[in-house]
Amino acid sequence: MSGAGGAGKSAGPGPGSRSGADRGTGNRVVGAAVFLVAAAYTWTARSYTAPFGDVLGPAMFPTLVGVTAMLLSGLIALFPGGGTSWPERHRVLRQVAATLVLVAYAFVLQPLGFPLATALLIAAVAWLMGGPALGSALLGALAAPALWFLFDRVLGLPLDFLGSWFG
Amino acid sequence: METLALLGQGFAVALTPLNLTLLLLGCFVGTLIGAMPGLGPVNGVAILIPLTFAFGFDAVSSLILLSAVYYGCMYGGRISSILLNIPGDEPAVMTTLDGFPMAQRGRASDALAISGVASFVGATVATIGLTLFAPLLARAAIHFGPADYFALYLMAFATIGGLSGVDPRKTLLSAAVGLMIATVGLDPSTGIPRFTFDSFHLYDGVEPIVALVGLFAISEVLLLLEKPLVDVKDGLRQKFRMPSFTVIAGTLWATARGSVIGFVAGVLPGAGASLGSVMSYSAEKQLSDRDGTFGHGDPRGVAAPEAGNNAASGGALIPMLSLGVPGSGTTAVMLAMLISLNVQPGPLLFERQPELVWGLVASLYLANVTLLILNIPLIGIFTRLLTVPTWSLMPVVVAVSFVGVYSISNSTFDLKVMIAFGVLGYVFRKLDISLVPLVLGLLLGIDMENNLRRALSISGGDWSILVASPISVGLYLLTALFLGVSVWLAVRDRRRDVARAAETARVDRAGQ
Repeated sequence: MSGAGGAGKSAGPGPGSRSGADRGTGNRVVGAAVFLVAAAYTWTARSYTAPFGDVLGPAMFPTLVGVTAMLLSGLIALFPGGGTSWPERHRVLRQVAATLVLVAYAFVLQPLGFPLATALLIAAVAWLMGGPALGSALLGALAAPALWFLFDRVLGLPLDFLGSWFG
Repeated sequence: METLALLGQGFAVALTPLNLTLLLLGCFVGTLIGAMPGLGPVNGVAILIPLTFAFGFDAVSSLILLSAVYYGCMYGGRISSILLNIPGDEPAVMTTLDGFPMAQRGRASDALAISGVASFVGATVATIGLTLFAPLLARAAIHFGPADYFALYLMAFATIGGLSGVDPRKTLLSAAVGLMIATVGLDPSTGIPRFTFDSFHLYDGVEPIVALVGLFAISEVLLLLEKPLVDVKDGLRQKFRMPSFTVIAGTLWATARGSVIGFVAGVLPGAGASLGSVMSYSAEKQLSDRDGTFGHGDPRGVAAPEAGNNAASGGALIPMLSLGVPGSGTTAVMLAMLISLNVQPGPLLFERQPELVWGLVASLYLANVTLLILNIPLIGIFTRLLTVPTWSLMPVVVAVSFVGVYSISNSTFDLKVMIAFGVLGYVFRKLDISLVPLVLGLLLGIDMENNLRRALSISGGDWSILVASPISVGLYLLTALFLGVSVWLAVRDRRRDVARAAETARVDRAGQ
């Protein structure tokens, strides 16, 4: 993962979960976060040297890019411009929960095997999107084995039926 | 004549049984994806790219399948625009202006047929233009040296945001972030690892496809979670009947004008499909709106932007194929696909792999005809899909995109990278930072660096080589001009907003 993804994460769902525009706080926070990442990036880039190769070396291009990014993000952090309207607090909770579900899927896919993990994923995301609890569970229970059958059996993409936890 | 002979060879490639099957499948799946509310062409193609690799087709077949999906999405996108007033992507917004009012008056069948024919004409005009002009541009681009390519990439980053009045700092920052991500991994010239934090997962860099699926598909889910889902069933109680041919015939001139305007807008760097449909619509409105019917369900207001949109998406393929620089979001995704298939677009592509270029062009002609046939009589099947509630559709789409990304390397590391890009994409989209420059930076970064280093190797470290050729100087001047205009527009919009806010505040105070 590069620094940029970290920048997105640390900004998270953003400050001020009230509805209505935030007068540029979002721009400021993300601008500052990208600035810090770009500064760390530029600092790291300067140290790259190679005893052979071309005239420019491996450090020049990243340094140019990093300094440009620092300049632009710094400008945005200082002069943020327009505001951003963030979702309401309980909506942010749903977004955080959905992100956690996705991350959890990446961790349990191999231990649980494809159909079980995917059934849980589909059911959880469907429920978070506002589906009825029973309908969501049913959707997961039906769609996950169907997808496994489609990809593993029909289309020939190998997907484990049972994961490592089941031996 | 030479072009016709090459095109004939292209049809020979496109008409093999496998490629023809993939074409039909792609058109059908593409229309389905495009018709789903909230899933535009960018998402559709991005989700399907990894799956295409997993099946191990060769480059030509994969390209044909995904181009059919791409064209299919463009056709399908109009269905949700017209029936539900939900545009699948930015260019489709213009179609909703007159398409949805038509549907509300019970003329949905007419609107869908008009837009289907307009899409067909627009895309066909663009494909003919592609056949004629792409080889010319490729021949001119042979003279580009490394310094000229560096200038061309800079211009691409500066112009990709378009002249839409979006903060130009954000467009450029997005490109810079993309370039930063592109430098992660082993340095191509010297082999030393950069920004890998000693993790072997990162030695090959960030796979662009993984980043794309995250940026577009996962961020879409997070955006959908912001608001309660709307019930869409009301818009769908439509009776489908035979469309009226006199109405379609009445829009033919609007379609023709929209196609030409859209095509020109599509070829221009940075303009892309959104500008194509916007320009076509406003031009048609100024020319034909004598009774003030535009915006209230005028058939010509459906035909013009839809033709412009499709012509622009076809036109945007010209710079993508002949220069390797895409002009729009969707062609950026197509470029990602080509790079992942180890096909380097650019002038040499036309010489080294003519069967790929012309096979693609021929299959675009075929896809157009197929889609016209699919979309007029079978429209009822696609509209039924819209009654499936979003809460049951999106989770399955998420699962499919996870399967695709997982199948690239069978590692869950890629899934985590994808989720991180999804969160990044969501935050950027919330702040009106376009994701397209980021994707472009990610895709072109390695090439841009290589060209810079090659240029300076030729000159022995003398930076003046960057402005030594008239081509590069011309490109820098164009870039500067474009940036100047977009900064001016952004400042003007900001001033206007501030003035309007002050005005509102004054009125509020006066009212109290």
